[in-house]
Amino acid sequence: MTSKGLTTVTTFRKGLVLALGITMTAVSAAACGGDGDVPAAAGPNEHVELTLATFTEFGYEALIPEYERLHPNIKITHRKTGQGGPYAQDMMTKLAAGSGLADVQAVEEGHLSDILSKSSKFNDLSKIGPSSVQPDRWLSWKYDAGKDKNGKLIGYGTDIGPLAMCYRKDLLAAAGLPSDSEAVKPLFATWDSYFAAGAQYTAKTGKAWFDSAAQNFNSMVNQLPVGYLDTSDKLTVENNQGIKDAWAKVTDAVAKGESAKLTAFSNEWNSGFKQSAFATKACPAWMLGVIKEQAGPDNAGKWAVTAAFPGGGGNWGGSYLTVPAQSKHPREAAELAAWLTAPEQQIKAFEAKGNFPSQAKALESPQLLNATDAYFGGAKIGELFAEQAKKVSKPQYKGPNDGQIQENVSSPALQSVEQGASAADGWQRLIDGAKKLTR
Amino acid sequence: MTVTDKTAPERRATTRQHAAARPGLRDRLARWDVKVSPYLYVAPFFIVFAIVGMFPLLYTAYVSLFSWKAGDDNPDFIGLDNFKELFSDTQFWHALENTVSIFLLSSVPQLIIAVLLAAVLTLRLRGATSWRVGILLPYAASLVALGIIFANLFGPRYGLVNGVLQTLGLSPVDWQANRFASHVAIAIMVNWRWTGYNALIVLAAMQAIPKELHEAALIDGAGTVRRFTHVTLPLLKPTLIFVTITSTIGGLQIFTEPKLFDAMPGSNNGGSTHQFQTVTLYLYQTAFENFNLGYASAIAWVLFLIIVVIALINYFVTGRLAGRRG
Amino acid sequence: MSVQMSLRARAAQLGKPRKATYGVLIVFVLGSLFPFYWSFLVASRDNGMLTERIPPLLPGGNFFANAARVFDTVPFWRALGNSVLVSGTVTLTTVLFSSLAGFAFAKLRFRGRNGLFVFIVVTLAVPTQLGIIPLFIAMSKLGWAGGLQSVIVPNLVTAFGVFWMRQYTVDALPYELIEAARVDGCSMIRIFWNVCLPAVRPAAAILAMFTFMTSWNDFLWPLVVLDAGNPTVQVALEKLQSGYYVDYSLVLAGTTLATIPILIVFLLLGRQIVAGIMQGAVKG
Repeated sequence: MTSKGLTTVTTFRKGLVLALGITMTAVSAAACGGDGDVPAAAGPNEHVELTLATFTEFGYEALIPEYERLHPNIKITHRKTGQGGPYAQDMMTKLAAGSGLADVQAVEEGHLSDILSKSSKFNDLSKIGPSSVQPDRWLSWKYDAGKDKNGKLIGYGTDIGPLAMCYRKDLLAAAGLPSDSEAVKPLFATWDSYFAAGAQYTAKTGKAWFDSAAQNFNSMVNQLPVGYLDTSDKLTVENNQGIKDAWAKVTDAVAKGESAKLTAFSNEWNSGFKQSAFATKACPAWMLGVIKEQAGPDNAGKWAVTAAFPGGGGNWGGSYLTVPAQSKHPREAAELAAWLTAPEQQIKAFEAKGNFPSQAKALESPQLLNATDAYFGGAKIGELFAEQAKKVSKPQYKGPNDGQIQENVSSPALQSVEQGASAADGWQRLIDGAKKLTR
Repeated sequence: MTVTDKTAPERRATTRQHAAARPGLRDRLARWDVKVSPYLYVAPFFIVFAIVGMFPLLYTAYVSLFSWKAGDDNPDFIGLDNFKELFSDTQFWHALENTVSIFLLSSVPQLIIAVLLAAVLTLRLRGATSWRVGILLPYAASLVALGIIFANLFGPRYGLVNGVLQTLGLSPVDWQANRFASHVAIAIMVNWRWTGYNALIVLAAMQAIPKELHEAALIDGAGTVRRFTHVTLPLLKPTLIFVTITSTIGGLQIFTEPKLFDAMPGSNNGGSTHQFQTVTLYLYQTAFENFNLGYASAIAWVLFLIIVVIALINYFVTGRLAGRRG
Repeated sequence: MSVQMSLRARAAQLGKPRKATYGVLIVFVLGSLFPFYWSFLVASRDNGMLTERIPPLLPGGNFFANAARVFDTVPFWRALGNSVLVSGTVTLTTVLFSSLAGFAFAKLRFRGRNGLFVFIVVTLAVPTQLGIIPLFIAMSKLGWAGGLQSVIVPNLVTAFGVFWMRQYTVDALPYELIEAARVDGCSMIRIFWNVCLPAVRPAAAILAMFTFMTSWNDFLWPLVVLDAGNPTVQVALEKLQSGYYVDYSLVLAGTTLATIPILIVFLLLGRQIVAGIMQGAVKG
């Protein structure tokens, strides 16, 4: 009995030793996945399999077969994830594990600061990418945001979300405010004029002016020369007058009842469109589809969009294509990424899925400039958003954890103010949370 | 005794085969069979565990000793500093309070209802299978559908529950912002999903109680309640221990429901002031949003130890409550 | 004698449900069915239903159109095949290995029995959220990442299953039966197969239902580890939720289709949870 018992115990121990062995090799592998030499490009006839990972809709479905036709030696597997959340976790797991990332990996703007702070895990596209790809392919702010602190180019820009203002013509008119797309522009000239118009609207109608405080606050912070972190990755929040002012203005508007207090993309926010719970909405290009879907056909013609945004321009959303250092075929991958992000292709993606292109040439193409939207009174949305895209100033430096501070600290802090906390308490939460994250 | 009847001829056949061999060999084989079989039977679990379970455990234990951000090339060894930090981390303790609160609000009513529901399902019902399958359905429902349905129910502004409250002349409740109200709403969601599941487990155990015992108790003059407490409950002890321990573990690791409940889709914040962030949500956020693998591993280990302690306490309590049989 | 008779009559009444009992059950089952019906309603209409003040109570006529869109968007049949293979395998092995281990832990004596059992239960308490990273490392090292074995092997047998089968077997399988079989010269495995398994059938059926469902609905790990062209149903359906707004009529048409196999398994296994197998065994 004892000896038989021992056999099991030894097998068990062997299992333990085996597991330990895997631990050690894996841990060392995970720890040593840094900058290596970039493998040489494969020969022109050598068969190469590439993977491309994207999330939501990039509009690449028809482009991939086209690329394979142009490059018969390349076979592309497209790994498409629906939602950003699972996609981010998948990417993070494989980054930490040191293997499994796609050869071309899409990264959303909100996650870019995390990726840039781990730039050793990605290839410098300015070195391995085709030499024909020059910075002037993109809007300069989009291109510059894809570089890390040392100027290493981590991502080629795909699309953008230039900000304009969407508003309810009928509600503004009923409140005695201008509602014509030209006449309304002064209301949306600066944040002060925007909140002042809101105060007027709310006082008159007793209804909310905008959907939620967080989206305005984020836009305001993004327009500042220095964001949550400075270029030495130090937290600025406590002494950043711009952020303090933005906080004061937004929370003041909340106190005046200007916010409908609906968390973006929540179920109640969706309903809010149909219930006419708010009159204006910060509107990146892709938001038009959301409004159309949520407000429904009953509200057709009531929503309008105008080429103005408080404080100048702004951007919300859009992505980059990166080539992780894990890739075995970085040069071929970079070539594919370069091709996909060329103006000709991004215009096709715009036509397929409405992704607004970030390429200077694409913004001048007739397909884009002639695009209109009947739901928004036939507005020339292509021209309008191209104009807004050019208003975006140079990109603000985004340090590590910048995205988390916005999503998990400042937005919830504002939400807590909307739920009844005092502005001072909310501000303290913002400071404490940001400090905890960047410690 | 259909069991033995069915196998009798086969058994006779095998016995004859063995009889042909040397008598000593058969005995030795039988003794070997008795000694080795138990280990063979439990071996699959340990083999699978050695391949896929052990390594993650060791990995997180190892990583918890480092200041390890995902993708770090040379993480710093910091010994037990992550654990020290954790003990003074108010967000962690806050999350633990939320977890225990949601756990108590869900598990206690859930188990009581599950036992009662199981008792009902042991009755000779018409269409028994359909009822049983029916109560297990919530566990199979899609999370997408659940998220929308519960958001529609507990929406602070347009939600059905608040609509009903207002119709009754009561003041609406901010199910998102109010800490206790959010725990109640999440507990309702948990109970909706898991009560039938636990009821079915208890039902299976009740099925195994010989009917003769109930009849004997009845002849001794025991009423329904007395039969339940004196016959059913003691015989359910192993199953009740199972249900209690798995519910404790599941309850303290509660993740899906609070995540679905957050108005901000996909958020791990557990509300604007973390009012319903559970420990696993905090752990997940630390690892997959903040990339702080070292600290997240420390949270995982501390949570593991807390669960083991609470599960042990519940084990003894359940044993006492159901344990007339000694 | 008359007292005895009335007791017998009462004994015969044991287990007979009252009308009110059905009422309670109907409430429970309606509550359980509601999300399925609601999903079907959305799937048979369009997205607009979600923001209606008073949602309609009857299905619309779009279900087949929406289902067709699901088939156009994702490789549903391939994913279905993969899911059936994965969940079927995992269910079979989990039930078999858990019953075996449960039998050993409940009824056989061997050194280290209690220690090993407690160890298994304790592994249940390990939070699983972080495991995905080391598990992915392990699967890559083994060269399994991408293949179906990467989602099968980790679930071949679970601590939950072993714990459950052990707890159930303790009371459901009388020692007398095992002894009788031993006296008849049965080998251990034969006792397990012919005596233990029939006795624990209800528990095994429930474990099979749970395991199948859990495996069927597993999402994050398959998403991370499986190859893009070789998904399970849940991974494939996730792609339906893309874009800045979700087309729920499409998504819920997909989930409705994906629930059908679970319902089939439930109905097949639900019959196995029946009383009476061991009744009389104790007496005999």
